Amino acid sequence: MKCVIVGAHLRVFGRAIHAIARISDEFWFDPLEKGLALRSVNSSRSAYAYVFFSSMFFQHYCWAAVPQPHQKDKQLSPPCKLIIKSVLPVFRCVNVLERNVEKCSIYTNINDHHITFQLLCKHGVVKTYNLTFQECDPLQAVFAKHMCPNVLKFHSRLLADIMVHFPTSQEEVTLSVTPMKVCFKSYTEEDADLSKTMLTEIQLNPDEFDYFQIGVDSEVTFCLKELRGLLVFSEATSVPVSIHFDISGKPVAFSIEDLVLEASFILATLSDIDKKTSQQQPPGFTPQQESPGTRTGKAEKASMDKDSSKQANASKKPQRSENTPSTEPAKPGSPLVKQRKVIPGATEGDATGVGGTTTAHAGLAAGAAEAHYDKVRRQPVVFRVEHLSWCLGTRSLGVTTWNYIQFCLWPFNGSISHSSRADRNRHHHI
Amino acid sequence: MRFRAKIVDLACLNHFSRVVNTIAKLAKTCTLRLTVSKLYFILSDKVLNGGVGMWCELNQGNFFDEFQMEGVSAEHNEIYLELMPENLSRALKTAHNAKAVKMKLTNKHCPCLRVAVELPSLSSSSRIVTHDIPVGVIPRRLWNDFREPSVPDFDVSIYLPALKIMKSVVERMRNLSNYVVIEANLSGEMNLKVETDLVCVTTHFKDLGNPSWALEDGCQSSQDRDPESMAEARIDIRKLQQLLAGQQVNPTKALCNIVSKRVVHLILLHEDVSLQYFIPALT
Repeated sequence: MKCVIVGAHLRVFGRAIHAIARISDEFWFDPLEKGLALRSVNSSRSAYAYVFFSSMFFQHYCWAAVPQPHQKDKQLSPPCKLIIKSVLPVFRCVNVLERNVEKCSIYTNINDHHITFQLLCKHGVVKTYNLTFQECDPLQAVFAKHMCPNVLKFHSRLLADIMVHFPTSQEEVTLSVTPMKVCFKSYTEEDADLSKTMLTEIQLNPDEFDYFQIGVDSEVTFCLKELRGLLVFSEATSVPVSIHFDISGKPVAFSIEDLVLEASFILATLSDIDKKTSQQQPPGFTPQQESPGTRTGKAEKASMDKDSSKQANASKKPQRSENTPSTEPAKPGSPLVKQRKVIPGATEGDATGVGGTTTAHAGLAAGAAEAHYDKVRRQPVVFRVEHLSWCLGTRSLGVTTWNYIQFCLWPFNGSISHSSRADRNRHHHI
Repeated sequence: MRFRAKIVDLACLNHFSRVVNTIAKLAKTCTLRLTVSKLYFILSDKVLNGGVGMWCELNQGNFFDEFQMEGVSAEHNEIYLELMPENLSRALKTAHNAKAVKMKLTNKHCPCLRVAVELPSLSSSSRIVTHDIPVGVIPRRLWNDFREPSVPDFDVSIYLPALKIMKSVVERMRNLSNYVVIEANLSGEMNLKVETDLVCVTTHFKDLGNPSWALEDGCQSSQDRDPESMAEARIDIRKLQQLLAGQQVNPTKALCNIVSKRVVHLILLHEDVSLQYFIPALT
């Protein structure tokens, strides 16, 4: 893969990297036929970022790579995983990037496992950054934006104006909507000391939005810190922002889209612990994955509450599966209390996966998914490598594990590094 | 106990914000005293904080368009609240172009000062940002702790040099040591001294002028003092730096009273705000 970025798009690209850096330390660099995708997910699986630059964004974009003879599938340029810290210095002073840098070339060398960022600067200075990448399984979240009853669209300036009222230390924010008004307020945990914390609330009129559709009154609470990256990015692009969301517990998607780029930040939201979780079929996944018969209603609910706490407290999970949702103890400060119900699969209840995954992908990644669609059908849907042990632990209880962002992984058939191979073996045990 | 106030004028709002910002830099927690005609920000951690004291007085009429206050009782028509000025500063920070700012004392889950900022918006109705700042109500029996400190029996009183210059000098000195010696005499000379094992740095200010204080008994005790003789006090430089760093507007008058080896009393006067700051001397 080789591409060249020039002009104002340099700043946009740099901002995208910075925005993704807010989510996690590493990101997926995924060259596709139609453009370049950058993806990232945080360690607790409660935030997923996706930025897609179509080939028109680049002055020059060339996808074809050296085809591997033993690769049956069409994936020519596999995605790579990069450490954000290595890439950030390349786009360090984003604001002055355009002034000093004339052109940025990016090319990948698969055999060598290298990505090279080359900045052609003024006065003949050329900065070359050679970064090693780790080949890995692709990453994609499944989230059907078009199925969300609530949609708000507005200029990025409005979102920035709203968020400026919250202190930078504010972790979580609640968005509360009715057809008559929209309200953003700071969120504090139930056991927090109210006599010490300052609470901020912003009320807006529906008129302020370019597009306002509220199908269901809801209050969703999400992490503001992770969102701030997107705020800055959207201001750089000055593309309107859309929020797609549903009731509490279901994920909220912040996205921007224009002719040459598309970005989505999908964040988990807190679910009401008191309310009985009226779930709702577990996320649609591919057929092999699930035998619906193993799941009873109660076990489902319990597992959902249990599994939705995505912190790596794997050991605690087995106990919690015994609890019914209503008796969840509110452990102060415990991450388990936050039952972040993240994106259920695109097709609620549709376990066939075929039709469902297509729509899901369509909702999220315009061209990207179709190519991999076939593979999704065949392969089991699992988590990423390091969380596999957790996955296995919960699976052994015979309950489902899908209350966070569901990722579809396409294992490589081609050359894979040692670590991936080990994981593939684990896949087969499932 | 009731309190409601409203600021509509932008200039007044910005002025009030600046005062609150200054206070926020000086104290993490302080007492807000509300009377019918004035607001006071008071800090009197005599014991806890190494004796730093702060007394800031504002005429409410110069800031608020509406001001209604009902104290704890008819006899004691005042309210004493404990709050973190940083919260108030933050609430007012994004109110640069507000249509109006309203403040109200409420008691929903706990006593709060509710600051509601009405901002202009693109739509017909304004955007309203509400901040609930938690406050503590200070009971009547503790009010004595917050009396106005009297002007100490100083040895020398002198006008301060331009605060900007003083601030940059003190900032540089801060890198050398945690303590600075302030000395001044009645001839309008002031020195700031920093001493370490390796180096001793002194900045001399001249022709500052000495204010004349009329005392009750009509005579000025400082008359007996040798005009060249310096009164000095060694203080924590960080306290001085905090005060100077917080100043966003040049005061109309800025002066300093020194009680030799005891306390430095700094007074900054603006048109409608007066700020007094007491820094104890260290041995």
